[in-house]
Amino acid sequence: MKKKIIALLMATTFAATTLAGCGGGSSDGGDAADTSANTAETSATGETTESVGAQITVDASATENIAVEGDYSDADLTVFIYAQDHEKTVYQSLIDRFTESTGAKVTFEVTTADEYGQKLMAYKAAGDMPDIFYVGPDGLASNVDDGYLLPLDDYVPEETIADLWPAITSAYRYDGKESGSGSLYCLPKDLSTFAFAYNKTLFDECGVEYPDPENPYTWDEFVEVCQKLTIDKDGDGEIDQWGVSNALQWALDAFVYTNGGHFLNDDYTQVVIDGQQEFIDAFQFFADLTCKYHVTPTVEQDTALGGYQRWLDGQIGFYACGTWDVGAFMDENTFPYEWGLCAWPVGSTGVSMTRNGSVGFAISADTPSPEAAAALITLFSTDLEGQRVLSGETTGASLQIPNTMSYAKGDFKARIEDGTIPYGDNVDVIFNYIEGTDKYEGIFVETTYTYNADWWNEFLSGGYEYVLTGEKTAAEYCAEVQPAMQAALDNANAMKAAAQ
Amino acid sequence: MKENKPKVKVKLSAMAKREERIGLLFVAAPAVGFLLFMLWPIIFAVLTSLTTWNGAKGIQGMFDRFCGLDNYVTLFKDSKFWQTLVTTIIYLIGIPIGMALGLICAMGMNRKIPGVRVLRTMYYIPVISSLVAVSILWAWVYNYDYGLLNVIIKTLTGRHGPNWLGDEVLIKVSMIIFMVWKGLGSSIILYLAGLQNIPRSYYEAAMVDGANGWQKFRNITLPLLSPVTFYILVTTLIGGFQVFVEVQVMTPGGNGGIGYSAATIVFYLYQKAFESYQLGYASAIAVILAIIIFIITLINFVGQDKWVKTIE
Repeated sequence: MKKKIIALLMATTFAATTLAGCGGGSSDGGDAADTSANTAETSATGETTESVGAQITVDASATENIAVEGDYSDADLTVFIYAQDHEKTVYQSLIDRFTESTGAKVTFEVTTADEYGQKLMAYKAAGDMPDIFYVGPDGLASNVDDGYLLPLDDYVPEETIADLWPAITSAYRYDGKESGSGSLYCLPKDLSTFAFAYNKTLFDECGVEYPDPENPYTWDEFVEVCQKLTIDKDGDGEIDQWGVSNALQWALDAFVYTNGGHFLNDDYTQVVIDGQQEFIDAFQFFADLTCKYHVTPTVEQDTALGGYQRWLDGQIGFYACGTWDVGAFMDENTFPYEWGLCAWPVGSTGVSMTRNGSVGFAISADTPSPEAAAALITLFSTDLEGQRVLSGETTGASLQIPNTMSYAKGDFKARIEDGTIPYGDNVDVIFNYIEGTDKYEGIFVETTYTYNADWWNEFLSGGYEYVLTGEKTAAEYCAEVQPAMQAALDNANAMKAAAQ
Repeated sequence: MKENKPKVKVKLSAMAKREERIGLLFVAAPAVGFLLFMLWPIIFAVLTSLTTWNGAKGIQGMFDRFCGLDNYVTLFKDSKFWQTLVTTIIYLIGIPIGMALGLICAMGMNRKIPGVRVLRTMYYIPVISSLVAVSILWAWVYNYDYGLLNVIIKTLTGRHGPNWLGDEVLIKVSMIIFMVWKGLGSSIILYLAGLQNIPRSYYEAAMVDGANGWQKFRNITLPLLSPVTFYILVTTLIGGFQVFVEVQVMTPGGNGGIGYSAATIVFYLYQKAFESYQLGYASAIAVILAIIIFIITLINFVGQDKWVKTIE
């Protein structure tokens, strides 16, 4: 009997360690998830820039001549963001200027993009929010619904807001029901877009004409060009150069939306891919690039060596290029090729589409010093010297485009033209996606507007690879995966309803 | 017969009282630690599992979102939950394999051969290495194009090897091989210690009785190692239900493998908690997982009378 009791006790202890979370160091995986605050942008970043990235050094004196007006000596602010080293240096020097000229106290806490979501959640659970923190367009509604964010309308001057890209201010407006209108809740840390790039060196070698940004390829034209670029370079009987390489998780959008397709219905309550011709055609075309036209590496080859490395190695004709990639692509040691920007090929709508991304500075609703916090995020977001550093004028490596239109369209563009800021050809492609033209449109993808991205994760974990290998058709896969996606979306909408 | 002894209260001296207080302080440290870092999180996890909490608005926010047993009802209908549970159980196949290999290696290293210490160290290196680092290493071993395995296969057969991490079945095999390799060192060390505790005289006596090698192994070594075997079984089973990092690192982009085929239950739990912010649902998974581990461990302990022998 005694032994039984001991057994029971032992079993309880072992089981309990699972719940108390000290069982096997299971949750310290580190490079885990993209967070709710930064889905679109960093998940793409993680895919592309993490492994290389140009070495950027920032001279702290670059921001020395900034003075901020106002006396905020009572303010004691905490800033909590994720940042890479060069960004951290920029923001730290802005903070130093701010504290010197206003007398405010600022605690600056920086983490990594991977850990940001978890740490912010801990702050929320503890009911002790930092005064300033990052929120992305996808986390905006839930944060406002939960009462975390301060509307900025009374604290940031009109003319400051008017100089920001309309695409970005509308993404940070929310009226309690829909985003796009109502109060402004964030100033942008950045606005990125996911353009398309081509390797000019390979085009020259294959004798193919460069793409014309004014006239984006149709899908048929795109296949034709890709076929010319897909060759066996060293003559060993195996293809070793491909027209294009796409990762579905960030590239499928560019095919679906340009074809008039969409994942969800207008009020984001139903998954509508099953039987939707626009979507299915786009997805099938995306897969055909691999399994029918063979102009991309195969699924197996792609698991062996990712498209990004292949692109850097000069094996790929077309590849996606985020605004954050430019610095690395212009670095001779990383990418020793000539390259230019172009449009993603267009489907039935005739408009080339891609995803935009952003993360923004938000102020906690219960900060005791909203004026000081607003002054500081205005400095972070729009200060000209800070923008010069981040967009590459001071450092020579561009990682974002400027937040302020006056600088972006003026000096920034002029510095690209005169070569001060190294940039691929056709920078207008970036501007086109951000501003929108009759041939270009940048959008925030549908996960931005749902409570979480679970329905999209269902799409990704349902075995879409079988469509790329040709074992399933796009139509079959959509029919198969839709119920699970719908269940996840229902769940998310229920959570949203509970929060409101 | 019971004797009613009158309770005598001994009056303690001042010094003894002081000692008593200091003693209590010593006891308090682990007790507080247990209450704060074990008992409270456990209660908290169980409470959270009864809500749809997403982490917002502190503890109050949690109690505002009480939903009863809804999470558990949903859980039992959740195909991903069952899929990851089955995958987790499939991974457990590695445990008996690892134990058998560990025992064989331990017996080999239990002889006086030159360089045996170097060998022992080598086998233990995977245990002390960072799990993330060795996971990356194995992701390279399994690489389709230039991985060690496929290079060997190509050299030997002239054909391209399979896509180890890109196939629903092979990825499970790959993970099991990796986990066996990773755990081998610790079972070898434990078995070695167990082997060296077996008195030589037993074997000598058996030899006198004319026992052959197999009989000695079957009737002396194996039974006398059974406490070690039991210990390894219990701890690896528990660890086996908590596999996470391996999946996170070895699947492309940490996506759980093609069609979620490599994802374990803790991996699913993690995604629910820290990607979807469904803390309540994730806690419900944790509670179910804890119950499963509890039952399995209980079976182990109750069943040990049948086969675990001690030298007494």
